[in-house]
Amino acid sequence: MKVREDYLREIKERAEKALHKKAPLGPDVDLSEFYLCSPQEEVDNVESISASLREAALYAGVELGEDKGSATYLQVDRSAVYQKIQDAFQGKLEIMAVSEALERYPELWEYWWGLIPVDADKYTAFSEVCPMEGYFIRVFAHQKIEVPLQACLLLSEESRIQSVHNLVILEEGAEANLITGCASVRGNESGVHIGVSEFYLGDNSRLTFTMIHNWGENFHVRPRTVVKMGNNSFYSNTYVLLKPLSSLQTFPQAVMEGENADANFQSIVFAKGNSYIDIGSSLLLKEKGCRGNSVSRVCAADSSQVYTRGKLISYHDEAQAHLECKGILFSREAEIISIPELEVHGAPGSRLSHEAAVGPIEEEAVNYLRSRGLSREEALSLITRGFLNIDIPGIPAALRQYIDEVIRLTSRDVM
Amino acid sequence: MLEIKGLGVNVGGEEVLQDIDLNIDPGEVHVLLGPNGAGKTTLLMAIMGMPGYEVTRGDILFQGESILPLSVEERARRGIGMAFQKMPTIPGVKLRTLGELMVNGGSSLLLEAAEKLNCTYLLDRSVGLGFSGGEAKRAELFQLFLQRPLLSLIDEPESGVDLDNIALIGKALSELLEREQVKTKQKSGLIITHTGYILEYLNADMGHVLMEGRIVCRGNPRDLFADIRSKGYEECLRCER
Repeated sequence: MKVREDYLREIKERAEKALHKKAPLGPDVDLSEFYLCSPQEEVDNVESISASLREAALYAGVELGEDKGSATYLQVDRSAVYQKIQDAFQGKLEIMAVSEALERYPELWEYWWGLIPVDADKYTAFSEVCPMEGYFIRVFAHQKIEVPLQACLLLSEESRIQSVHNLVILEEGAEANLITGCASVRGNESGVHIGVSEFYLGDNSRLTFTMIHNWGENFHVRPRTVVKMGNNSFYSNTYVLLKPLSSLQTFPQAVMEGENADANFQSIVFAKGNSYIDIGSSLLLKEKGCRGNSVSRVCAADSSQVYTRGKLISYHDEAQAHLECKGILFSREAEIISIPELEVHGAPGSRLSHEAAVGPIEEEAVNYLRSRGLSREEALSLITRGFLNIDIPGIPAALRQYIDEVIRLTSRDVM
Repeated sequence: MLEIKGLGVNVGGEEVLQDIDLNIDPGEVHVLLGPNGAGKTTLLMAIMGMPGYEVTRGDILFQGESILPLSVEERARRGIGMAFQKMPTIPGVKLRTLGELMVNGGSSLLLEAAEKLNCTYLLDRSVGLGFSGGEAKRAELFQLFLQRPLLSLIDEPESGVDLDNIALIGKALSELLEREQVKTKQKSGLIITHTGYILEYLNADMGHVLMEGRIVCRGNPRDLFADIRSKGYEECLRCER
């Protein structure tokens, strides 16, 4: 056990040293202006969850109910308040608070900060120095779970920092669909959410990960996600943000260490108000046959500022990936800055490409819809919803419908 | 149904139409002939009220009332519909979604119209995205079927369409415009055609030849077509002079 203690001491020390280390991207957030979250009481059954929490979860795409999802994890502020695996999925997967998992399975420490440096920036450092739970999910080898797993992280108190650290492991041949909803409870307009997520995908595994955020207008959000992918593994990451916030910066990465790994990132963003959004994804193609896509659809309105980044890095001749960014600007005060990066290192056979387009909504399309009897506002809304409705490879039809519905519901209020 | 009086229309500051007079009674179908660039599409766009088509003179009356003050959507809601020559691409907006909005969710009507126009397989595709010429024309008419306008403005329904599709489109147009009904015809249409093939499927009541922004000839559409085929449009100008 001495090795583990040494390791824990080392990461703690590194974290403490990095507590003031600014992140290279996004505006710097002074974390000292916020308070730490409070603990919340655990509940045994879903009926005991308050209506306001249920509503917040719903707007982040998570439906709380005894018969919803294959498994559900609900965290409020710094506490896991509800965890449930449906009977039919017992023995096929695990879902629990990460602190409980680390205590129960000491071998998990090998995965802890295994993909993300604890001292990457002040936000990762903070989540180690002030840990506030997070979820642990493991899908056992060769189990194929079609019904989505649900994880929901809510912030109920004003001006607090929530820093979670999630660990997801798909063993060899496992398949799962995970929906994560992160949101502030109605009326809570200010706070910070830090989410560290380390995902390990075994050989021949498949994970579709859908993350929906719904924060108050003065929130700062800093997700930090890295996915390690084995041979023939598949990963689809869809991020949806349709409500204004103060700032968001995230740049998740897929590290494709296995042959024929396939990673797909989709970002769907509608920036409103004074939102500052810096979003992107990075694909590290290390082995033969690795491939992937990074696609973003961005609408920028009001005085919002959106950076969309994409980085493809290839180390193998037989790797290929594509980057696509499309944006619509709705106002003269809004900005979209698209920054693609393609890197090929000693692999002249790599095929990396990118395309980007930023422009207005086509008036021809608006007028066409008006000739069908739609008002200008109805036409703009329909075109915008369509623009955000991107094809997401490899996801089940039910999940596709679900994302469409989230876009429909949440965009209704913002357009 | 439609009364156009001394209409002048500018596009991009240029005068495209001058002194157009045209009357279409309820139940009548007229065809508009003319060489490329004569102003045929401009006339339909101006009736529909599409932005960019500026009426400089004259008036357009629909059911006895001037529609010049009305927006595109108001004209559509009053009962004017248009099948465009070129369908725009609207990524992510499914034909089904648009159709549902047009019929306020009435799915049986939508499916029936899709079946009729052989558009069922297009319903879950984005409007116009990757549509062939025939698919675009059928999708345009599918929307008119949902809209059921009193006055249909149809811009080149047969261009870029193979013979099988022309038959389908011709029959659909005949139904849309109630051409099979003998006494109770109420629907009217104004159709631009280059080839005249569409006349095989519906009996048009009147033809107009539009050249250089003016209507230069009127008459039985089949006779007009026969003359144009044998003598060309230039003869229309000479004949008028």
